[in-house]
Amino acid sequence: MFAKNLKKNLAVLIIGLLILSFIYNHNLFRKLYNIFIINYETRLTEKYGYCFRESVGFLRMLKKKYKFNFNPLIINYDDSVTSSGWSIYDNLNQTDNSHKILLNYTKNLSLRFKPLNKIFYSNDTVRHSNGISNIVFDLKDKHRIINFKIKIYRKTYNKENIIYEENFQKLVQNNQIIPIEFKTKKINSIYKPTFIEISYLREDDIEKINGIILNLDHEYNLRDLTIIEKFNNCYYVK
Amino acid sequence: MTEIINIIIQILFLLFIFSFPIILLETNTESKNSPFSLIDKLSINIIFIINILFFTSILNINSKYIFYLFVILTILLYFFNFRKFNLKNIKINYYFLIPLSFVFLIAIDIAHELYFEWDTQVHWYLKALNFFQDQKFDNLKSFDVAEHPHLGAYIWSFFWKFPLNSFEYLGRITYVFIYVLSIFSITECLKVRAYEKIIFAVLLISLTYTYEIFSGLQDVLLFSLILITAKFSYYFFEKKFVLNHLQLIIILLGTANIICWVKNEGIFYAFFLLFCFFITNNLILKNKIALITGSLIIIFLRIFIFNFYNTELNPGYFQFDRTLNFEFLLILEKIKTITFYLIIYLTQNPIYLLTIPILIYISFKYPQKNITKFVIYFLILNFFFIYFTYIFMSTETELLVRSSMKRLIFQTSGFYFLAIIILINNYAQLFNNKLLYKHKIRKY
Repeated sequence: MFAKNLKKNLAVLIIGLLILSFIYNHNLFRKLYNIFIINYETRLTEKYGYCFRESVGFLRMLKKKYKFNFNPLIINYDDSVTSSGWSIYDNLNQTDNSHKILLNYTKNLSLRFKPLNKIFYSNDTVRHSNGISNIVFDLKDKHRIINFKIKIYRKTYNKENIIYEENFQKLVQNNQIIPIEFKTKKINSIYKPTFIEISYLREDDIEKINGIILNLDHEYNLRDLTIIEKFNNCYYVK
Repeated sequence: MTEIINIIIQILFLLFIFSFPIILLETNTESKNSPFSLIDKLSINIIFIINILFFTSILNINSKYIFYLFVILTILLYFFNFRKFNLKNIKINYYFLIPLSFVFLIAIDIAHELYFEWDTQVHWYLKALNFFQDQKFDNLKSFDVAEHPHLGAYIWSFFWKFPLNSFEYLGRITYVFIYVLSIFSITECLKVRAYEKIIFAVLLISLTYTYEIFSGLQDVLLFSLILITAKFSYYFFEKKFVLNHLQLIIILLGTANIICWVKNEGIFYAFFLLFCFFITNNLILKNKIALITGSLIIIFLRIFIFNFYNTELNPGYFQFDRTLNFEFLLILEKIKTITFYLIIYLTQNPIYLLTIPILIYISFKYPQKNITKFVIYFLILNFFFIYFTYIFMSTETELLVRSSMKRLIFQTSGFYFLAIIILINNYAQLFNNKLLYKHKIRKY
């Protein structure tokens, strides 16, 4: 009988300890306290940011302040998160794309390429570009003649999806802005790296190029829009 | 303080709603005639109610009528059974307090974290919001992935709206309730003492719980429903339930239907489960017919609703000309990528690390029982499914694998708890037999 009780008490003790360790591991007392003292909206803004990452705080402030009776177009320039439209979306409203909310807006959209064997690659991502504006070569020398074909592409199973391809004959100065003005949406991708290939370039030639910068056009340019509300890099525009 | 009170009310409401209909139709929950435990009855009620919710969602019946109907029926059943309850004999079920406290603890975590995963932000939340704002089933077509099933989101919206109509996370507490219940349910299969079952359940929760699984993703629902299916399938291999085979088949079909409507991959899991179940059991003709007919109805219902609402497949995922373009070298490359990531993600998942070696051990150590075959067949089909899914998707395999394989592996992982149960039950049986043998020798 004593042994049985002892076993039972020991089991109760183990269960208690396991529950306590669960509470401790997930910091549940602290979280309970936070729920008591911090309201839902503040906690939500803390999680998603006011004007960074999802910027839900800014969106909810706008919705409250302007009492939207439409769903504005929401564009988030932070490629690591979603557009955040879900946070103020209303099924009962129509979508109105003339009202735009630009979150984490960057003035200059660009992709930076580094040399890799005989090509250049970039892990930078872009979602809201309208095309290529110009190209800049970061050279080791003051200038260099580039007289070959330039190809910008992405790869899917070793198949190249060409974004831009053009013959290039130019004496290029270091960090000189060379206009391209090529309209394309193919440059937008947040999943895959982009490559630049300069045909027939020898390895020692490639070594003399530190990197390439591709400056891109904005799909939504602030210069063409009226700013209604602004907080840091977050804008409500029309 | 308001939020904590809301959470408590929500949990009590879930208990109240999920006590309908089976628990209330019986005069005594501890009825000796019924082979099902309290947790089984709650699971059956959940399966019943979710199936009802499924039909109301596709028939576009306003959820408030369903809510009123549930509440009125539950109150009436409580009222009519009130005289039959012997208040003096009512005992607090301490065993059941532990799962309830876990539901509360996890609800606290959810209320604090609030964060949605990527897929929740772009798909699942919008679907839930659609139903929360009383929009019709057709309206789902206005969102990105209309071909993704809606039932999980509908459950979320229903319990977000009722009874309190306040914070969205109150709807997600239903997922927690089903998850905790499914884990405590599977531990009931263990032939050990009650407190040992509790220890096992608490360990399983500690092993599987992270906030991410409740961040609005539907994978935890699949995990829990597969676990409930595993539990009721296990009963088939028990002599105690010989007389309840038809009831069990109906329960399994009810769960299979829900699994099909939670996520697209659920269709495959449901049929893998039913198929493995069919080939590892010697069913009588009546049960075979019931199982096959039920399975066919589930398939046709899915196809019918898909066609009725003109749901179109997302061209980004399903480009059949590219998907069915059999290039041998490409397939080899994909298999290499899938295998590499499969090994990585399997080693990251503690359930597989624990259960797969156990499954291998029991397959060789003990003579193979039908239940062991059931688990092994499902494992084989599951692995085939993982390979086929990624091989025949048009999106680049590595991207897809890295973003989804971890979740895909998690969905079915609970099923392999059966391996631990088989081991413990066999071991416990052998151990008891040895003790009995020693006792007999002494007595002799």
